[in-house]
Amino acid sequence: MAYTPQFYPGSTSVGINRRKHMSGNIEKLRDIPEADVVTIMGHRAPGADYASTHPPLKEMGEPDCPIRQIVTPTAGAAAGDRVRYSQWSDSMYFAPSIPYFRSYWGAINCKGCDPGTLSGRQIIEARERDIEAYTKKQYDSEVTDVALCSMRGCTVHGHSLRLEENGLQFDMLARTEMGKDGNVYAVKDQVGIPLDKKINLGKPMSESEAKKKTTIFRVDGVPMGGKVGARKFDEAIEMTHHMWEYRSKWGYRPE
Amino acid sequence: MVTEPDTESIQVEIVPYRYLMPATAQKLLNEIYKNGGLVRIMIHGPNLPRSVPYGPGRGTPIDENRNLLIEVGGEAFELSVKVGRIRLELESEKYFDGLKAACERALPFSFTIRRGKFFRTKQTLTDYAKFGNVEDKRILGLIDPKAKKDRMAILSEDKVTAHEEE
Repeated sequence: MAYTPQFYPGSTSVGINRRKHMSGNIEKLRDIPEADVVTIMGHRAPGADYASTHPPLKEMGEPDCPIRQIVTPTAGAAAGDRVRYSQWSDSMYFAPSIPYFRSYWGAINCKGCDPGTLSGRQIIEARERDIEAYTKKQYDSEVTDVALCSMRGCTVHGHSLRLEENGLQFDMLARTEMGKDGNVYAVKDQVGIPLDKKINLGKPMSESEAKKKTTIFRVDGVPMGGKVGARKFDEAIEMTHHMWEYRSKWGYRPE
Repeated sequence: MVTEPDTESIQVEIVPYRYLMPATAQKLLNEIYKNGGLVRIMIHGPNLPRSVPYGPGRGTPIDENRNLLIEVGGEAFELSVKVGRIRLELESEKYFDGLKAACERALPFSFTIRRGKFFRTKQTLTDYAKFGNVEDKRILGLIDPKAKKDRMAILSEDKVTAHEEE
């Protein structure tokens, strides 16, 4: 029987969504053109050549190494691209992804990337053409809601702040705006430099839809222990207690 | 036994469920102003920089954050923060219910309103370093200790002035 990886325990909607994010089995919600994603990232002009830090691997003459023979390099690594990043802020007001789950998604599903989680933002670094593909995947899928999540290379505040009146996550640099047609538009790149034209990112999720798709446990949403007042806690909290116990007693050596 | 009427000033904090757009902030502040009995008021929220503060785009102007002029009680002033919390002092308790009604009229979403003690009464070392001996004690607690001096605005019955003391 083929082995199916198990990702996250629990039968709450948040547990299920966390499993989905980690397994990479995510729904595609929108299609933002690749050129637009590249423009918002702001590392290179769409259509421009990729800058490189070394010649393509084929021309370099690699040393005789069994690992190099087993592992196929990613497109970016094979071409010698420089390393670039995309960084996201996800609102704690029921954004579909929260920093750790973007990282889990990246670490498990994206080859050759370096995810980093901070308190209110999440960064993934990879070779330029790889990170562009990963970023597009994040933008297009249910990992992202265009109102509650945004790409922010700097001045990232927003995760733990209240939302704006129109439902957008607060952004000091006003990188996105709510159009009159109800669509969210990107007006600046991820570091706050204005774009030549507005990029339509589509309609945001409704509040109830965001609550269904979120991966954040909240007392006013789905609590980590599962249904309030139930006889038994959800498996997610049991697993966390179990890990905590093992880690405290034996330094996480479950022998 | 006769109970003394409570005529002491009270301090109130209003926290809307969401950050306010300048238009809603103006509406709310005007409603609060119309309710009367204000001794002092402070608006609080995240800073809205006029240009990108750091990163590769540093110095790029942020047009969305410029000219956020609002008019309160016939006086115009520029918002430098996203309004997220309002703290104020009322002359007496009798204005409290009116204040609550004013918030209900102005805000299209929920808010919390509570009484408490929000402004300090003693001058801190930071106050002293910035302003010397503060004579008008009403400004205590209106100043963000980390803010630069020119960021403070004093809202008085007569006019709105930016504090420019060196």
